[in-house]
Amino acid sequence: MYIKGVGMTKFDYSTKNWWDFAYEASIEALKDASMSMGDIDAIVFTSISSAAGGEHQTHKVSLLSDIFKTNIPIIEIASVCGGGGVALWTALKMKGFKNVMVLAAEKFADNRSEVVTDWILSAAEKVYEQTEGMLFPTQNALIWQMYMEKYGATMDDLSLIAYKNHQNAALNPKAYFYKKPVEIEKIKNSPEVSFPLRLMDCSLSVNGGAAVIISSDKSDIEVVGSGFATDHILTFGRENITHFKATQMAAKIAYEDAGIKPENIDLAEIHDAFTSVELISYEDLGFAEMGKGADLIRSGEINRDGSLPINVSGGLKAKGHPISATGLAQVYEIVHQLRGDCAERQVRKHDIGLTHNIGGAGGSVTVHILKKI
Amino acid sequence: MVFYKCNNCNKKWQQPVSICPFCFSKLERIRTEKLKVIASSKVVIPSLLHPKIPYYALLIEDECGNKFAYKSMKDRRVGDSLEFASSDNRDAVVIWKANYDLLDAIENIVKLAKLEIRKDSKILVLPTLVEPVHNHFHENTSLEFLDAILTYLENVGVRKIKIATQSLSDKPIEILAQKSGLLDVCIKHKLTPFDLANSGFDNQGSIHISREVKENDLLLNLSALKSGKSSSNENAMRLIEKSNYEALRYLYSEEYIFKALSSIDNMFIFGEAIHPQRTDKFPVFRSLIFGSRNPVNLDAVFNNTGMVNNLPKYLRDTKVDQIKIIGREIDEVKRNIDLIL
Repeated sequence: MYIKGVGMTKFDYSTKNWWDFAYEASIEALKDASMSMGDIDAIVFTSISSAAGGEHQTHKVSLLSDIFKTNIPIIEIASVCGGGGVALWTALKMKGFKNVMVLAAEKFADNRSEVVTDWILSAAEKVYEQTEGMLFPTQNALIWQMYMEKYGATMDDLSLIAYKNHQNAALNPKAYFYKKPVEIEKIKNSPEVSFPLRLMDCSLSVNGGAAVIISSDKSDIEVVGSGFATDHILTFGRENITHFKATQMAAKIAYEDAGIKPENIDLAEIHDAFTSVELISYEDLGFAEMGKGADLIRSGEINRDGSLPINVSGGLKAKGHPISATGLAQVYEIVHQLRGDCAERQVRKHDIGLTHNIGGAGGSVTVHILKKI
Repeated sequence: MVFYKCNNCNKKWQQPVSICPFCFSKLERIRTEKLKVIASSKVVIPSLLHPKIPYYALLIEDECGNKFAYKSMKDRRVGDSLEFASSDNRDAVVIWKANYDLLDAIENIVKLAKLEIRKDSKILVLPTLVEPVHNHFHENTSLEFLDAILTYLENVGVRKIKIATQSLSDKPIEILAQKSGLLDVCIKHKLTPFDLANSGFDNQGSIHISREVKENDLLLNLSALKSGKSSSNENAMRLIEKSNYEALRYLYSEEYIFKALSSIDNMFIFGEAIHPQRTDKFPVFRSLIFGSRNPVNLDAVFNNTGMVNNLPKYLRDTKVDQIKIIGREIDEVKRNIDLIL
């Protein structure tokens, strides 16, 4: 399948309706594809918004039918932060549809932070983990502690990841931190939220939407690999708690699907919900040997001007993380990079790009590989 | 901690599933005892679920290598053991998280409260049975909790189990038991619930208490906890003769009746708070079980964990910080029950 068009809103704290984000991203994707809604045969939609602000709507697909004035099949896929990737994976598996729009929209940051924190926490296991204080930063803090003990990485490595992603976001007009670079000292000195992770190790919960139109008709971008795997919701009940097995499995499927190896990837958008997740994912995705992920960030290889630029968009860390929309925003960035139209943040080599999207603490993971035709 | 293992496939579960989906073998229930801290994170972000900060999110490992999360208000070090002291203090309150396995919660509460239950014990089970409504309204003792208590007693080998209550309203207990589904649980365990109104009553001063109190070694008060009141005492009031209860209500305060009930020294309360009702009667998910020999202390601690402020004076005046707490700490499970739906 091919990607015909992509669209996304700016990621920020705008208080528009959730469906406004869906509408805005869709219109941009349709224009990018030189299509109209009449050309779309089905929509795969994903979202978790928005209980916190009272706008919660369980039958969102019917509301989308209304605003798009269409009666085509609209499917909703829920997979929290991994929703965008899982929706794309699902759309790619749909037979008999020529043009499918994959769409995500979240109005997630719409209440006090205690309420929003509680709502995102609902993506974790309720009884054994949520009630035992396992906020997502906390789960990842404990994973990172175990990783540091086993492999000897440091908090300074995470500071470099945050710094890199903030530098990139400063060049991305759709990123929350556009034109707002952050100095490394501010990252290092940011307050701890859940030891040892600091505020600046965490991604930004923002609002926004993103859309991708796939088609069986040839375009300039082909989806050559698609992998999806799930893992147990009890993070610490897994065999290996320092890595994400679902990432490893999804990546293996995607590489095999594409007939390529990690070294063939020119750039990647990695699910950096926390800086520690980005570092661990270097290894899970095969970009570094087990325990050697820190070498990548220390060497500068994954900077914008390096041999394997990672999170040139700014990532979830500094572009922003509107939950389900994240996976499609990653595709948006890779498509524009492959086309070579990213202006200041354009990477040098841009033939094959990878997206990596995680739902929960490694609970549902997709990896997609896109190739410039 | 309890885990479930398929000895054929060697897979393990924390959730109490019964059968392995790969080989269909019955899972073995394994209890582990030696718990050690292997990682700890100080958390400073408040959320509705965890309003009090800082707290410590611990990663615990048992002697079988199973790992699980545990919230603590204490700063524990890596390598520290996680142990729970037991006590038979009559005024102490046990707090325990049910984690889907109610039998596990009951076993832990019995152990922590040093509650003596022998094969030859005569036990009267006193469920909360007040409204002819379905289980999910959480007016009455839940079917699952009653089933777990009776299973526990059967596992111990107790043969002399009775189950009874008394309706203090105009709703006959037969109707209440049938509509709520409690009758089916009793039938499953080959028990016939009976009406305490027919049990005969002894005068203890101004209060007429069912003879069943004296005739049994232990009364298990299965109180369906509700916010803003003394649910444990309210359930114990079923032991009072109805006409006497009505007269006492007319002449005295509830507090007077509750004080009179404190003379019952063979009662242990299991306060069920898996889905306790708020003061507006909406049930909320809390997954907690409380245990105590002191109903006022139990109800005061339960309400405190839900941050309930609008309480009757006798509960409000109970100094929760002076009550001995066993098992989980109050702050580990405290959250504003009015902010949960």
